[in-house]
Amino acid sequence: MLNSSGVFDYVNVLGTSLDAAATRNDIINNNIANVNTPNYKRKDIRFETELKHAFARSSEDTVDARVKNLDLEALTPEIYTDYAELSFRYDGNNVDINNEEAIQAKNTIKYNGMMDLLNRNFTQLKSVMK
Amino acid sequence: MGIFDSFDISASGMSAERYRMDIISQNMANAHSTRTEDGTPYVRKVVTFQEKTDVKNRKFSHMLDTAFSNLTGRPLGCTNSAELSSPGTGVKVRGVYEDTWTEEVMTYDPEHPDADENGYVHYPNVNVITEMTNMIDASRGYDANQAAFEATKAMASKGLEMNF
Repeated sequence: MLNSSGVFDYVNVLGTSLDAAATRNDIINNNIANVNTPNYKRKDIRFETELKHAFARSSEDTVDARVKNLDLEALTPEIYTDYAELSFRYDGNNVDINNEEAIQAKNTIKYNGMMDLLNRNFTQLKSVMK
Repeated sequence: MGIFDSFDISASGMSAERYRMDIISQNMANAHSTRTEDGTPYVRKVVTFQEKTDVKNRKFSHMLDTAFSNLTGRPLGCTNSAELSSPGTGVKVRGVYEDTWTEEVMTYDPEHPDADENGYVHYPNVNVITEMTNMIDASRGYDANQAAFEATKAMASKGLEMNF
């Protein structure tokens, strides 16, 4: 009942994005752990572009309506091996440690920001229900 | 993936680098060991790492791809990227090997107890500069994993801040 009311539309999108950010954190940890593994190629997750495309495909006019009609089940964030990042090392590994740390810093900030947004959403709902 | 699996990944990286550090220390400590138990000079040891694969989520195509990539250093490309459903489970030590391709150091010193019949002493094939370089590499790798660990910790604590 509450789910169809649209109250949790943004919460649901934020939840999915938070999941993706948590998975990216795992992946980056794995990349960093394998920084000295010969022939290891870095991995990443494709989520933002998927979300963007799903958004762009929507026939709705307003952002609210697009968020409401987003099929989160159909959003399939995929983990891929990054062969595009060129290896400059003799051991065939293409992990650039500074790059990974930069991505992780960005990811953590994104995660924290989304968490704050989520909390703000709940605070708003609570103040309405008072 | 559970929330604490992320910590395990960084922990595996840290222990692998620490193990590598142990072997480097062993090499440096034995840089002048002209005699081991079997009478030969000490041989330098090398640690190799391997990605720890998630056995539960392994598919044949992925295993084939990994084996091919390990052999040739380039991907076979038969793994559908969507099949890599797991972010990974970290790193493991593949093994410790003896360095048989670096020459041992020969020094002329007939008074040395371990000198051979020509007066040459066979010193281990340990180059302290190489070991120091590898040590810095291992140390940086350890630090990077530690930084990742801290970032994960910050994220996990932030996740607990959700207030309804």
